[in-house]
Parts: sequence; structure tokens; C-alpha cells
Amino acid sequence: MSILKDLPELIKAEVISQETADKIQHYYEDQKGNSSNKLFIAFGVLGTILVGLGIILIMAHNWDELSRTTKTIFSFVPLIIGQILCGYVLLQKQNNIAWRESTSAFLFFAVGASIALIGQVYNIPGNVSSFLLTWMLLCLPLIYLMNSSFTSLLYIAGITYYIVVTGYFYPMSEPYFYWILLLLVLPYYYHLLTKKPNSNFTSFHNWLIPLSVLIALGAINNNIDELMFIAYCSLFGVLYLIGHTKYFNEQKLRSNGYLVMGSLGTVGLLLSLSFDWFWEDLRRQKLTFDEVLISPEFIGAMVLTLLALVLLGVHLKNKRVKALKPIAPVFILFIITFIIGNYSSIAVVLINLFVFIIGVMTIREGANKDHLGILNYGLLIITALVACRFFDTELSFVIRGILFVLVGIGFFATNYWMLKTKKQ
Amino acid sequence: MMNKKILLPLFVLIAMAQLYVPAKMILDREDVLATGIEYKFRTAPVDPYDPFRGKYITLSFVDNNINVENRKDWKSGEPVYVLLENDKEGYAQFKSVSKIKPNEKDYLKTTVSYVNSKNTMRVDCPFNRFYMEESKALEAEKTYRASRRDTTQIAYAVVSIKNGEAVLKDVMINGRPIREIVKEKQQSE
Repeated sequence: MSILKDLPELIKAEVISQETADKIQHYYEDQKGNSSNKLFIAFGVLGTILVGLGIILIMAHNWDELSRTTKTIFSFVPLIIGQILCGYVLLQKQNNIAWRESTSAFLFFAVGASIALIGQVYNIPGNVSSFLLTWMLLCLPLIYLMNSSFTSLLYIAGITYYIVVTGYFYPMSEPYFYWILLLLVLPYYYHLLTKKPNSNFTSFHNWLIPLSVLIALGAINNNIDELMFIAYCSLFGVLYLIGHTKYFNEQKLRSNGYLVMGSLGTVGLLLSLSFDWFWEDLRRQKLTFDEVLISPEFIGAMVLTLLALVLLGVHLKNKRVKALKPIAPVFILFIITFIIGNYSSIAVVLINLFVFIIGVMTIREGANKDHLGILNYGLLIITALVACRFFDTELSFVIRGILFVLVGIGFFATNYWMLKTKKQ
Repeated sequence: MMNKKILLPLFVLIAMAQLYVPAKMILDREDVLATGIEYKFRTAPVDPYDPFRGKYITLSFVDNNINVENRKDWKSGEPVYVLLENDKEGYAQFKSVSKIKPNEKDYLKTTVSYVNSKNTMRVDCPFNRFYMEESKALEAEKTYRASRRDTTQIAYAVVSIKNGEAVLKDVMINGRPIREIVKEKQQSE
């Protein structure tokens, strides 16, 4: 670090005091320590995953030559080793992140391996969902006791797998249990957000949690598929607005999974509904009001929409209406369009219009902020819309060709213009 | 985050729970194996795979239909108690089905698979997995299938049952464990 070399000179010239120089030195030393520590954590955790999964695979071989007693004893060995290691870390190395994370992750896998092996020895019938549930519940306390972010990530992945197994494939057993399981890990997530906002682990959580919720929402689908579009649109709205709260706005884009998923999700959803087939289906299918009112899809959509409205209220409180991002109110417009779509074919036109407006406003925002990324995102939205229409309109090839050429020229022109203004 | 004085006892508690759950699984099964009544169920295999627990053969009941009065009384996946009896050849058969726990000893706890339009109920097989060593599972599957085609051979599962809970002991073909048959075949090849 060149500044460290300059410190004596700066002190001599009385630019900074000795105290300040010490502080600067401390700061850079801390930073250095952090980066090598990060590497330790990454390798420790990676190693543990490999060893843990390896143990599960070796056990899955199902050694015939071993007696039932031997196999039973073996199934406890990794579990006890994991517990001893975690106990040791709690007593001696509580402040060492690399130790804490890797021992907890090992214990996490050991618990799963142990239950799985006993299931195998006693030919316990295959119910993956109850197996996962037991496993996750037994490991949930580790997140808090060991203060382990990686275990928390594993836990979230595990409960997501659980909801997929229970909600998507089996006859609807208890998909609602997932939401309780998720709720149980949120205090830890809050701890991460407040105490370690810049940690990579927090960043991973910012992606994994919205992703998990996205996947889990699909499990509430019962038989009114159309309502799921409202539920998803509102969920994307919720994610987008969370991504735009003050806290997440200060984060880098790569740590803000909410914003990226909310934005891409909304645009993707609108694009997929910009085709006529969905709306034709909707008009043909006459949903009765009573049927809709008691469906889980409706309740899910209601809850998410209310949540999105609250977030929108908070969002507007701090800003003028003019500064409102184009994607933020889409979920409200979509519900209105959906209701219109039950009676009239104009809905599909409206959806196309929304995508177009979002695209144009994004380009404008990019231009105003001098931000090439945002500008090109807007252009991509328009391009995607044009590409979608390419497939289903009856326009002649010549007109479609000209449209494509125009959009392409638009790309060049706007980028060129922006680069030029930037240089000036 | 937390004080060590609270943290450690809590951790010990969790560790105990982590040990208790698998231990309880073992003890429950050992109890059924030791003191349960043994039955022989004629079974049929399906396809094997489990990402966590390795290779196995899947079993389902053969010809064990139960007649019910009205199919609308039963839902798929609903837990039921099936009363058992042995036929002339010594294989277990379903006598009747009930939603309430029976007073007799000979019953099996399971769930309804489906009831067809002729009011015949099929129930799920609660001991549907028999785990095999990786290298033997495929051969076992083949042997088992062949035995099902060949009517002179009889495949059945040996099961211990206590208080409705079943633990699968072994899968046999003509009175010999399938593991032995597969081993013999692999050695002769």
C-alpha cells in the first residue's frame, strides 16, 4: 500500500498527526487481515461441503458386509465428530469465523447423513419431505448458537427443497409449514443485515431468500392457475420495492437480489403475457366469484398485493410521484388489466403498452443518470418486446425487418450519443 | 451474539436432540423387530433411486384389494388401519379396513392409495423400500422381476408388525433372501 510508505513523510511535513498515521496504518492492516480470512472461510466451507457430501455418498453405498449394529454405530460417528468440533469451537474459537462456519456446516451434513443411514438400515419408507423436515429442524438452532451464516444458507436451501417436494409433487400435504420454517430464520437474517451489511454471506442471503420465496409461492397453486399470475406480479412488486428501500439502495447491485429479481421478474412476466393465448384462455374460462374467493391462490395474491401496497406507500412517502420508478406500480396496473381481461381483448394491448412504457422510461432514466447499464437494460426490454411480437403478428417480413433494423440503430445511436456526452 | 454461559448448555441440549432423533428411530424399529408379529406379504417391485439414501428396490402389494361399501367415504392419502389375516399358504391378506384404531393385535397402519369405481380399495405399502448395496441393486431388481414373471417362483417381503408399525426385515424369493441369490449370481458370472 503506497500510502503507508508515504506516512512518515506526511508526518514530517505536518500534514497529518502521528495519531492519524497510526489510525491509517491500523485500518489497512485490518483490511489485509479480512481478505486472507475470507479465503480461509471460503476454503474451509468448501472443504466441509465436499467432505460432508462425500460421507453421505459413501454411506449410500449400503455396505452389505457390515452388520446392522456396525452400520448403526457408523451412522453416529460423523454426527458425534461434528458435535465435538462445534463444542470445541464454542469453547475455544468462538471468534474465528472460518472455524465456526466450517464446523457448523459439517455438523449440518452429519445430521442429515445420520438420519439417512438409519433410514437405510431399517428400510424406512421413502418420504423425502419428512426426512428434510426433521433434518432442517434439528439444524435450525445451529444457525443461532454457532452464529453461522453458511448453515443459514444451507437451511434456506433445505427448506426450499422441502417445499418443492411437498408442494409441487405430493398431494398438497402441508406446504404452509414452509412459511413458518422461513420465519424462524428471519431473525438471523435481520442480524446479518444490521450487523454485517457488507459481508458476502449477507449478499448471498439477499439472493437466496427472495429466490426461495419465489419458488415456494408456486406451491400454493391449487387449480386456479390464472390467479397465480397476479400473485407472482405482486411478489415481483414486493421484491422490487424492497430492493428500492433506503437500505438496499445503498448496496451494490450484485448484493441486491431483490431489485434484480423484482425488475427482471416483472418484465419477464409482462412479456410472457403480451401474447394473446393467455387472455383468450382467461375469457373462455368463466371463474365464479365464490370459487375464487376461497382459493389459496386468491389469499396468496391478496396478502402479497397488500404487502406491495404498504411498501409502495413507504416508497412514495420519501419521494415525489414524478420520481417513481416505472416498475414500482406495475402490480396495481396488472390487477386492473387482469380484471378487464376477463371481459375484453384490450388487456393484451395494455400489457404491450406497459412493457413499452417501462422500456422507454428506463432508457430515459439511463440517459438522465448517464448510466450505460440502465440505458441498455431499457433498450433490451424494447428489443425483447419487438422479438415477442415478431412471432405472433401478421406483419409482413419487410415491416418486421425494418422494425429490427430500427431498434438496432437505436442501440448504436443511444450508446454512441451517451459515450460522447460522457467524454465531454 | 450470546453469552457463553447460556450458549454452551443450549448447544449441549441441541446436540442431545440431534442424537435423540436418530436413536429413537433405531430403538422404535428394534422394538418392532424384537417383539412384533412376523408376516409374509406378496409384493411387486417398481423403480429405484434416492438422492440421499442410495439404491433400493421398491415394493408394492400384490392382489391385496379391500372391498369397501362406498368409495366416497375414503380420500386418497387418508390414514387407515388394515386388519390382517394369513391365508392357507401362510401369506398375509387384508381382511378389512377401518378409520379407527382396532382392538385386535393384527393390524397395519397405512394410507389409502385410491378406491376405484367398483368400490375396491388399494392401500399404500408402508414398507415400500428395501435398500441394497449399490452394486447389487440392479441385479436384485432383475432377479425380482424375473421371479414375478415366473409363476413358479414366489417373491415376498418378511415384515415385523407391532401396534400397526411395520419394519421390513428381508425380501425373499422362494424362501431365500434376495441378497444371497444376487451374490450367487454375481459370483457365477
